[in-house]
Amino acid sequence: MTKKKKVPWFWTWVIGSVVFRLILLYFPKNLNLSSRPEVSTPLTSIRRLAEGYWLKQSSVSPYAGSMYHGSPLLLTLLGPLTVKRIEGQPDHLLCGLVFVIADVVSAMLICAAGEKLQVAYSSSLQLLGLRDLSENSERLPSGDFAALVYLWNPFTIVACVGLSTSAIENLMVVLSLYGACSRLAPLAAFGWVMATHLSLYPAILIIPVILLLGYGPDAPPRKLFCQKNRLEVGNSSSSDSYSEEKAKNQLKVANVFSWRPVVSFLLWTLLWSSYILVLCSIYVQQYGGLQELFKRTYGFILTIQDLSPNIGVLWYFFAEVFDFFRNFFLIVFHGNILLMLAPLALRLNHRPCFLAFVYIAISSMLKSYPSVGDSALYLGLLGLFAYELKDMQFSFFLLSGYVGVSLLSPVMHNLWIWRGTGNANFYFATAITYACFQVRYLYSF
Amino acid sequence: MGANENSSAKPRVRPIVRLGIFLISHSNIVSLVCFLAGVVALLLLPVLAKNTYISENALMPGSANNMLSTHHVSDANKFIKDLTDLEFTSMASPIESQKLIARYMSALDAEVTFHKFYPQFSQFHPLHFFTSPDSGIISKNGTCSSFGVNTIGIIRAPRGDGKEAIVLVTPYNPSKVGLGEAVSLGIAYSVFLLLSRVTWLAKDIIWLVADSQYGEYSSVAAWLREYQAPVFHKVDVVTSEACNESSSFNELGQGLYLDGKLSGDFRRAGTMAAALVIKVVDQGNQYEDSLNIYAEASNGQMPNLDLINIVNYMAVHKQGLRIKVKKMWSLIDSWWLNTLGVIFESLGKVARSLNPQLKFGIPASDYVEGAATLASSLYYQGLGVPTGPHGAFRDYQVDAITLEISPKVSLTKLNRRNEFMLRGGRLIEGVIRSINNLLEKFHQSFFLYLLTSPGKFVSVGVYMIPFALLVAPLPIVAAYLHANGSNSTPQNPSSSLEVDGSHKSWEWLNSARKVLVIHLWGVFVSLLPFFLRQVPNTTLTMNFVLWGFLSIFSLLILYLTLDCPIFKASASQLEKNKWTSLKSVTISTAFIGLSLMSVINFATAEIGALLIVPICLLARPLKLDIQARSWRTLLRASCNIVLGFVVFSPVSFVLLKGAFEDFYGINVGDYWKWVESLWAWNSATYLYIGVVHLPCWALCIHILFHPC
Repeated sequence: MTKKKKVPWFWTWVIGSVVFRLILLYFPKNLNLSSRPEVSTPLTSIRRLAEGYWLKQSSVSPYAGSMYHGSPLLLTLLGPLTVKRIEGQPDHLLCGLVFVIADVVSAMLICAAGEKLQVAYSSSLQLLGLRDLSENSERLPSGDFAALVYLWNPFTIVACVGLSTSAIENLMVVLSLYGACSRLAPLAAFGWVMATHLSLYPAILIIPVILLLGYGPDAPPRKLFCQKNRLEVGNSSSSDSYSEEKAKNQLKVANVFSWRPVVSFLLWTLLWSSYILVLCSIYVQQYGGLQELFKRTYGFILTIQDLSPNIGVLWYFFAEVFDFFRNFFLIVFHGNILLMLAPLALRLNHRPCFLAFVYIAISSMLKSYPSVGDSALYLGLLGLFAYELKDMQFSFFLLSGYVGVSLLSPVMHNLWIWRGTGNANFYFATAITYACFQVRYLYSF
Repeated sequence: MGANENSSAKPRVRPIVRLGIFLISHSNIVSLVCFLAGVVALLLLPVLAKNTYISENALMPGSANNMLSTHHVSDANKFIKDLTDLEFTSMASPIESQKLIARYMSALDAEVTFHKFYPQFSQFHPLHFFTSPDSGIISKNGTCSSFGVNTIGIIRAPRGDGKEAIVLVTPYNPSKVGLGEAVSLGIAYSVFLLLSRVTWLAKDIIWLVADSQYGEYSSVAAWLREYQAPVFHKVDVVTSEACNESSSFNELGQGLYLDGKLSGDFRRAGTMAAALVIKVVDQGNQYEDSLNIYAEASNGQMPNLDLINIVNYMAVHKQGLRIKVKKMWSLIDSWWLNTLGVIFESLGKVARSLNPQLKFGIPASDYVEGAATLASSLYYQGLGVPTGPHGAFRDYQVDAITLEISPKVSLTKLNRRNEFMLRGGRLIEGVIRSINNLLEKFHQSFFLYLLTSPGKFVSVGVYMIPFALLVAPLPIVAAYLHANGSNSTPQNPSSSLEVDGSHKSWEWLNSARKVLVIHLWGVFVSLLPFFLRQVPNTTLTMNFVLWGFLSIFSLLILYLTLDCPIFKASASQLEKNKWTSLKSVTISTAFIGLSLMSVINFATAEIGALLIVPICLLARPLKLDIQARSWRTLLRASCNIVLGFVVFSPVSFVLLKGAFEDFYGINVGDYWKWVESLWAWNSATYLYIGVVHLPCWALCIHILFHPC
């Protein structure tokens, strides 16, 4: 590993973000963030989780009454913390601490993954003989940068202070990406299985994770290597055959899809998922078993039963749609995500990390209950590609858009719910603007 | 990026993109035209006002005959007499008059309750308008000695299911009952008397006699809070044993408990359809009986226009009252407005001679009156401070207005008073009868409007146009500056090593950081008064000076820290030329702030746009302008200096105040007082001034003195 070059004052910024979160956690009454529709969806709301835990404590199925739709594992982890109170402190302080820790850990993982990417990138550039370019890219500590972006992103902060469980989902996604980047198949498998278990949509990340394990982290397109290879063969008539042979071998390494980590990843995935299923089935044994669990969690996600407003666009659409078209459109909307998987995977197969980022962005846009926590994740991962970002057009326009929409959305909600002078269309308008900005943002790559 | 794209890929550019590029590349002319058009459109608003009409068919105002008779009025007179006599005979305690009112109410078979409350003094909830009205406002400063008692009477509707109610509010001060207040109570009593007998009532009637010792608003607000959002685990600051006064509150009901109609607990009727606050002002030197309507609630919210329409219709067509809304009197005599009126009148004549179908143009006097009313409507909506106790209702989505009735001659003449009360009572009766027909809430007519006279309004669709025209140049100029800035700067290879500010498309990030810091400073400045108020024994002027001093001090500290290497990303040479990118970021934040404010409180955004947009568009380093030494640049520089001075909010406050009232006796303490009233009422305007207006002004000044 090369010498680390940190962003100046990196740790100060990290500690600063933690302190800032703690200060905000201490005044939750004034902010009331955990009841904002932008922050807590039916899946991630801490209040619903507390309700589920309460039901469980009183020997009722936690899924009774369509209140809780998350994982039973979260219930065992966070449930006791929702009940425990410290005298004179805000209600969910302990839970808040868990989310703060989750945020910091995911930032650290992003940072580490960034370093891994950096090393891989510069070594592959060196192979290609573009030394000055690689030097240039080495100077950009994109991992640190991404970690700081993740920690100081207002969306992340709001999601954390609003006690949305998306912090933990994000942690799992980042964990699997990190595991894949550093070729730790068990870790990657654990992250992927947990993320899928918690919110289902990260299931599509299996493609980039396998590619990461197979090909290694992001590199320039393989075509370039071939070209380089051919050029060298052409020029090498005068040079000795040994060095030519070596270069060829090196280049081949970049090309080969190594099956071993992938197989071990799949095996570990099988192991972890069966483990989690067993744990869950023990937990919900008395309340209808696994079938009920799947119906209440994944079924709830896929059939979009809760149409309370959020920052996505599906709630409005399904509130309007005729009942007999409902199934059709459910298939269309979810097929939409799946449809994009294959072309993107073919196009970006040499850069699995970036592919993962694109997948996350797409699913956070099209998922059934999106919240700002999801955008926090992809905006944080964005920092990993700081080098590519330098050429981004419309960056200023996009940032203004994000700022404007995120401020406008609570105001429109207020206008609709509390003042009664607006209506659902006002809020939906901001949601659709937000979606447009996201599309524009993805498109700009 | 505009020009390049245009030339390189001409055949492929779509028309809409081409239009955008055209607008951006001609931003100077476009912004000038848009701004002027915006001002003209604003001045045209009184001409474009439409006549009001009753939109909800179910209301049917004035379709029934009045049932209120002289008989009711004479009963009410007896009530007034008892009330005023009480004032003269027993000076013992204000409780007596409340007892008397309760006795009268219960004699009409109404349910009577008392509601005890501790008045809440001004508190600072900067984000109050974001949250639900009931989010944890618990009074902590209530003391034993200060509490008020509201008396509430409820008539259950014979035809209703008890799910809807209409509220009558009469504020009065039990320790000093004036004749005007007594007559307003009398009018309400006569209506209440009538309504307790009628068969057509479909909604419950709540008569709230609000104890206005601690302000009319706070008593009504306290009652509404209890009605709509009861606190179950109340931390009772004042336990009943600790206070002697509480025992007198308990004694209140003693006489009435025997009847069984007074209930100790809080009574409710259904959801409120509408509320009318009745006030009588004993001025006594009017041309005729007149009715003032106050409608502005907090943050420029207005009741549904239908409510005003009904009152207007009943007052004008049935009772022959002269109806008025607030005006800016100083505007009526101003020569420029009169000239404008004449110009618009002649324009209208020309238009009509061309095409008789065109209904453009109104008489000059109408124009001036309309403009004065519109100005006051804008001002009071923009202030965000409710103009009466009706404001408390709007926080719970109940439409409410205050009716202030003033008689022609003094109320002491009994004969004249009877007639006056009959008129007032019939007005209230008609309005209630009309609201009684309502099926749901008021929803048919407008919520967002400006009044230009009691019978004319400008709806949101029309008044958005001037604002949109005023604000439209901002994004265009921002895009122009941004595109220009990122094209023209020389690529310096040494600068590309930074973390973020490296590439040309990210160069704006440094300016964005500066803008962010200044806006954070704005937040800090707007939080300062909260702490300054804790300092005891200070005068208004001293507070203001302290505030200004602390703000400047913190700004200096920020400047110093900004210069140190943590914040500064080593691009000092390039930074010098960066005023364009700074300006573009400033302008776009101003745009975001203004559009946000236009949703929260339109009037503030309109006034704010008039003030801040010119300087945002014109700002340019003075050094450049002076170096150029042509008459155009010098003119621009002087314009900038003048604007920079005028837009500074205390200065603009003093100037506006001087223009509309007079300069005599203005001191800086007034500004503090004005600001204090804003934040005491949780007005979003305060936040706007602190977080958007002030930072934008500071950034514009920074650009003016930019070293380039």
